[in-house]
Amino acid sequence: MAGGYAGKFLRVNLTEGSWSDFTLGDDILKMFIGGSCLAAKLFLDRYPLDADPLSPENPLMIMTGPMVGSGFPGTSRFSVCARSPQTGIWAESACGGTFGPDLKRAGYDGVVIEGRSNGPVILAIDDSGVSISDASSLWGKDIYEATDELKTRDKSAKVLVIGPAGENLARIAAIGNDKGHFSGRAGLGAVMGSKNLKAVVVRGTSAKAVKADGEGFKLAMKTAMQEIKDSALAEGLHMMGSDANMDLGMVTGDVPVKNWTSGGEFDLASNLSGPTMREKYLTKAHACTNCPIACKRVVKVDDGPFATAEGPGPEYETCAVFGTMLMNPDLTAVIKANELCNRYGMDTISCGSAIALAMELYEKGEITKDRLGGLDLSWGNMDAVLELVRQTAYREGFGDILADGAVHAARRLGGSAMDAVVHVKGLEAPMHDPRGFHGMGLAYMMSNRGACHLQHFVLATEQGMASWPQLFDMKDDYEGTTSVGKAALVYNSENYGILANSLSICHYVAYSIRPETLRDAFNAITGFGFDFADLLSTGMRDWTLKRGFNNLLGITSKDDVLPKRAMTALEEGGAAGSVPDTALLLKEYYALRALDERGFPKAEMLVRLGLDDLKSRLYQ
Amino acid sequence: MPIKAMTQEWMDAYKAAIQADPDYKSIAKDWEGSVSLVVNPEPARNVPEPIYLFMDYWHGDVGDFVVCDKEKADSAKFVMTGDYARWKQVAYKELDATKALLQGKLKMKGDLPYVVRNIKTVNKVIDILGKVDTLWPDGNK
Repeated sequence: MAGGYAGKFLRVNLTEGSWSDFTLGDDILKMFIGGSCLAAKLFLDRYPLDADPLSPENPLMIMTGPMVGSGFPGTSRFSVCARSPQTGIWAESACGGTFGPDLKRAGYDGVVIEGRSNGPVILAIDDSGVSISDASSLWGKDIYEATDELKTRDKSAKVLVIGPAGENLARIAAIGNDKGHFSGRAGLGAVMGSKNLKAVVVRGTSAKAVKADGEGFKLAMKTAMQEIKDSALAEGLHMMGSDANMDLGMVTGDVPVKNWTSGGEFDLASNLSGPTMREKYLTKAHACTNCPIACKRVVKVDDGPFATAEGPGPEYETCAVFGTMLMNPDLTAVIKANELCNRYGMDTISCGSAIALAMELYEKGEITKDRLGGLDLSWGNMDAVLELVRQTAYREGFGDILADGAVHAARRLGGSAMDAVVHVKGLEAPMHDPRGFHGMGLAYMMSNRGACHLQHFVLATEQGMASWPQLFDMKDDYEGTTSVGKAALVYNSENYGILANSLSICHYVAYSIRPETLRDAFNAITGFGFDFADLLSTGMRDWTLKRGFNNLLGITSKDDVLPKRAMTALEEGGAAGSVPDTALLLKEYYALRALDERGFPKAEMLVRLGLDDLKSRLYQ
Repeated sequence: MPIKAMTQEWMDAYKAAIQADPDYKSIAKDWEGSVSLVVNPEPARNVPEPIYLFMDYWHGDVGDFVVCDKEKADSAKFVMTGDYARWKQVAYKELDATKALLQGKLKMKGDLPYVVRNIKTVNKVIDILGKVDTLWPDGNK
């Protein structure tokens, strides 16, 4: 068996209350590696694509990769995958924390959950076996409360939990791991809720199958640790968290402001920045299992209207979406909004984006105070925002409209709403403005879960956090506001970056170490003997597989578009006057990806990648 | 008339350019502290020895701008080190200094969050650097 794998997967049927193990051959593992790539392969092979995402027929997959549990930095991760109830297409959401390594130690590379329980249940997995138990006493509790209770029962347990948003089938619901780590995007918490699955609890103590020994691994490990120690990026992430981007991004035109309509709010950004958080509210940095970077923030707000007990702090995305996007200059209010989203179990990007939409429509008079139940949704009114966060999680009042995300909300609200949403394929864009970085615009158009900054390494390469000329042809420095040369950069950055979610390694660690080090560690663990070309080819297969999945669900070239607002130039800020040349970007990119005019992978490319089954389905 | 790079005359010109910039004073109003640049030698590019440059910035004003020894360079609040060719790329705006730092092409000793918070000041002084009429040791582009 290939190294790094526990050697078996768990299949659970909640309708039947049954479970069984299954295995996959080395040939499959070598082609699809693990994480979200392997999940997509399993989904295509075994499940109906057209089932309602909130029906029992939509499987929920929790997958690790071969590096998870090895002790290599940044490999605590796992991917949760399903068909998205928010977008209707492929959904995956990678998460750090503690769950992944323990699942491996409990003997499983992944879990596939089918069906629907009659009532709320907990799925528990440990070295000695599997059990399904009643979760009635946990149903209704928020993620922090449920996590605390589950850890009271077993303090060593690692838990995945949904909150009220998932229970109420909000299509922007997230899944939380140990309070501070989330599979946030694309509504996977609602899929879990639709199965009446409140929690998955793992406790793994076995050391076998997760320890990679050997001189090659030791050397790669030692090299990685030194590279991380020498990395200014890693240092910055440790000191300021991902919110280090706020100050830098405001200068370069990366940070969206006032629902993507403004630029250059430097004072606003400074209040919300990583240095400010560090200076005023940080109590300590927190790390996922085996991570020397420790980018996670633990914060506390002692007093004021948004006082918050010590707990997980916001990432950059949250600081932008509940800060600059809403014209809110108060970081304590962002911290409170983050805590509420964590507790209720909602994706902060989707939730904040939906509220930004509502604020804009309120300003335009398209939503009245009466419709909001008396809330004054003026820009920056964070008391109203926090109440709307709560209503969204519980589908109360106007929150019921926002609970399915900005695109669903815009459809229901009509008027100018849809023109005010920045999304691709139904998923709200993360907080990186494609007008400031045209490559990111292309990446949004082509990412397989909709607008996404985590299905590739474009953020690192286009913004200059990393340069890997040994891996593919690239420059040290790219100008953000040009589309020339970006298609190839995006294509290559996808092929390398998408591997993060199959190998299950953190982006920040991958940015901080050389590709040679990652390759050597991967080979030392798996024994696959991949060179760079093999790695990039595997990434190509991963992307193409998921594209085919979406093609089978009706996605075509017509869906590869940036919305009107993202194509409207700003008058000020780092991205002033700039919009991506989408025609150029798509033309060059389609050629590189071997996509036909419909946006389908060409048959010869599918064959070259060993995706013959997919070819048969796309070309039947 | 171009001035030979990394000489005292060049430092004087750089200082004068900063003082003459209409926007520098307001952009750099919050900046406190000296910066030194350490230029690693590259004999093949006519830089046979390390070069140390010390620059004192204070709330929009500038103080000492001198070619110095290692000891004085090390005394600065921020010490940035890189190969000669990298510094030249930065001056020519072929390589953004922040990106160079993140990619490990330049190294910095000092308070990174402070630099991030004041990134507009950093960008401004580099922008002015590129405007100094310079004669580089290995020739101009």
